[in-house]
Amino acid sequence: MNIGLFGQYVANGLMLGVIYAMVAVGFTLFFGVLDVIKFSHGDVLTVGAFAGLATYIGLTALGFTSPWAQLFVVILVATAAMAVLGALIARYLVLPLRTSPPLNTLLLTLMLGSALRECVRLFYPQGANPKPFPRLLPQDSLALGSFSLRLDNALLLLGGLAAIAGVHLLISRTRLGLAIRAVAQDGETARIMGIDFERVVLLTFALGSALAALAGVMNGLYYNEINFSIGLLLGVIGFSAAVVGGLGNIYGAILGGFLFAALQTIGAVALPAAFPQLPSAYKDVFAFAAVIAFMAWRPTGLIAERSAERV
Amino acid sequence: MNLVAIAAITAYAVFLLRAESQAAVLGLIVLAVAGVPVLGKTGFLHKLNESFEKHKKTTLIGVLVALSVLVALFYDQHFVMLMLASVLLYTVACLGLTVQFGYAGVVNFAGAAFLGVGGYASAVLGPHLPHLLVLAIGGLLAALVGSVLILPILRTRGHYAALITVAFGLLFRTFVEVNDALGGPQGMQVKGMNLFGWDLNTGLGEASFYANYVAVGFALAAAAFWLVRRLERSWIGLSLDAVRLDETACAVFGIDVARWKIFAFTFGNFFAGVAGAAYAMMTGFVAPNSFTFGDSLILVSIVLLGGLGNLWGVALGAAIVLVLPEKLQALQEYRFLLYAVLVIAILLVRPAGLIPRRARRYFA
Amino acid sequence: MSEALLSCSGLTVRFGGLVALDRLDLQVGAGEIVGLIGPNGSGKTTFFNTITGLYRAAAGTARFGGAELIAMKPQAIYGAGVTRTFQRSRLALPLSVFDNLMVGNHRRLQHGLGFNLFRRAALRREIEHNVEKARLLLAAFSARLAGRLFDAAGALGMIDRRRVEICRALVSEPRLLLLDEPSAGMTHEETRELMDDLLAVRARLPALAVVIIEHEMNVIERVSQRCAVLNYGSKIAEGSYAEIAADPQVQAAYLGTE
Repeated sequence: MNIGLFGQYVANGLMLGVIYAMVAVGFTLFFGVLDVIKFSHGDVLTVGAFAGLATYIGLTALGFTSPWAQLFVVILVATAAMAVLGALIARYLVLPLRTSPPLNTLLLTLMLGSALRECVRLFYPQGANPKPFPRLLPQDSLALGSFSLRLDNALLLLGGLAAIAGVHLLISRTRLGLAIRAVAQDGETARIMGIDFERVVLLTFALGSALAALAGVMNGLYYNEINFSIGLLLGVIGFSAAVVGGLGNIYGAILGGFLFAALQTIGAVALPAAFPQLPSAYKDVFAFAAVIAFMAWRPTGLIAERSAERV
Repeated sequence: MNLVAIAAITAYAVFLLRAESQAAVLGLIVLAVAGVPVLGKTGFLHKLNESFEKHKKTTLIGVLVALSVLVALFYDQHFVMLMLASVLLYTVACLGLTVQFGYAGVVNFAGAAFLGVGGYASAVLGPHLPHLLVLAIGGLLAALVGSVLILPILRTRGHYAALITVAFGLLFRTFVEVNDALGGPQGMQVKGMNLFGWDLNTGLGEASFYANYVAVGFALAAAAFWLVRRLERSWIGLSLDAVRLDETACAVFGIDVARWKIFAFTFGNFFAGVAGAAYAMMTGFVAPNSFTFGDSLILVSIVLLGGLGNLWGVALGAAIVLVLPEKLQALQEYRFLLYAVLVIAILLVRPAGLIPRRARRYFA
Repeated sequence: MSEALLSCSGLTVRFGGLVALDRLDLQVGAGEIVGLIGPNGSGKTTFFNTITGLYRAAAGTARFGGAELIAMKPQAIYGAGVTRTFQRSRLALPLSVFDNLMVGNHRRLQHGLGFNLFRRAALRREIEHNVEKARLLLAAFSARLAGRLFDAAGALGMIDRRRVEICRALVSEPRLLLLDEPSAGMTHEETRELMDDLLAVRARLPALAVVIIEHEMNVIERVSQRCAVLNYGSKIAEGSYAEIAADPQVQAAYLGTE
């Protein structure tokens, strides 16, 4: 394999990794504060991407065509809308089920994801078809020998890393972050210490959902196409990544995201090399089989979950 | 009381299936949506459930008569017979899921994949082997494929186990889609069922050939019902419940959690495989698009809607989930959304389902 | 005391850097009632969890009858005749009282698939026999409770749930019963009533050994023949109630003066 192709694979893998990591961080945050898995997370990402697309179309219709300004508004609207949606979901669907078995929350959010997905398919104009996503970033590319680095990809990668770093700073350096960590550590005690539990939960869900919206927009910018079902796969992958890293741990989620992307990229490269007659479409089969095998090996992830059950 | 209730339900079904205009269908559905909570609140449904359990013979005869009435009225309509057979076969699969999910608490979000294993088994083996054997092999194959997941499921709990089955469901679908030997995205033709020379795809006289599948579906559903009912009312049922409710307490009282989880998972997948094999023979084809994650969620909805762990609830859930969107054409397009909203509402308002399961009585 | 039924020596449990149980030596003879006391976090429940196989010991032995409990799985330990209750009641609330008791009676039931599915008459006999057994056991605690055999455990009040939990631990006729704070969450009245019942049942099972964790000192004084006091995972005193009550080290541990 030549260097150029190799570079391409690495760039592609990193790009996938950063998107997966962003989704995985959301899962990990929610699990941290409420010990729940919000399966609809991937579909919030879809809705975010479509909200971004609709904003773009609206702006263009209004004659507002500067790409940078468009990009800014698209991201702003998508993240803000999903933050609100995330908080609403937490308030009206997730919190009321706090006292029922954890499986019910899982089921409810699974169904909610299904509902969101269907809403996009049914109610977005021609939502069942893939939609072109605008190229809002500069399309120049930088030639490095036989490998050409596209500027938009580099920007997306940097943007994604910046967003993750931002969330990390927020969690580790601010008062809100402290409150989130306190609730994650022990909700009851945090409440006694005067932390507004419900507010922290809602803000955490808003934060995670905004991050998912950003990931959705980035995904659109990268592939220049979105469809109503991207969220299902990204949700499962993001959840896998969070689990592989160790639920409740932000570093684990980031690690898991890049690991999963590496796995997929290796699958895409190594499988055809090892079994030439095997179509490359098997790469997802390979990736999921790897996740299942991994879970059998390390059931609680690379960086293990906080504590064992109290007897 | 049982017979009256069964007659009422049958009459309702007849009206619903007969109803031509969308307005009439809507009216009947509104009646049910308004009526069921009222019956639930007054404790009538509970009493009815008790009574169903108490007078087993009458209930069985009643159900048989009701089915015969439906067949007699609609024997020449392909659509209604297909519906009826589908409800019966889905009941079989969902009874299996009930053992996994409702009793042992082993989540399975890949139910459609196990239906699919059975379906593909009948597509591949149908031309070569006797069909009764194919049904059994479909079930065994589903159980066998499921055993790949046993180790990861045993080592994980709750969310993690759910993820594993979701990943497996996606994996299965991708696999059959890219596998050219299994027909790729177009899927495969499946031969109609032939039992001991009886070709089910030839209707008797004017009757729809689907009426034959109603008969087979009923036989399978009755057998599954009988087995699962006996299972529940035995020490095994108790152990499965204990595994679901508290694994630590199980360990302390000697209950082998792994053994019962493996048992429930295998047993349930077997049912799904058999149902999938029969269903594929009835519809004549299998394709990856029938075994999506959405389809797995439908199976879970059925199990949950009727009342987790309640066997009558499974049949009721299957009827609601399958018949409703077919009758309300306007809803056909919206069916996944409808199920999702329905299940969310159930979880928020009545988490035990329409007919909640009652405490076990071993002999009553 | 003749040959001890349970004999622990050097039992040590660590969680990361924390030593939860530090070289504990404890003997319990058949028919004995031993009180286990100590401040919160002193390792009492950890001791139960260790000898029932839920936690792994880092060092030490716990011999029970002829068997070594430390290497055994919880299921096998139960099979050997050790049962327990939990500090925070762990009944299966949606199941009936009878079902909960039968969870405890697991080792005396037949679990074969063929037996359970196809030999209904034999199964029926076994069930009827066990219903009678459960009724008798419950009646020893409360006649009213025995009448509610097929009610869901979740419908019972706190004291009845405790009774059911104790019966669940007793129904398989164990040799060693571990009670983890049976008085938690109950009034003094209820606790006394429960202890009366317990002593009455105990009187009919002279070989049964009991270890009881309690915070209520008057309960310990009343039921136990011997007490061991734990603090920070170590045994700091052992003897009759009067002896340990007079022990300055014990008083210091409870009052927090070092």
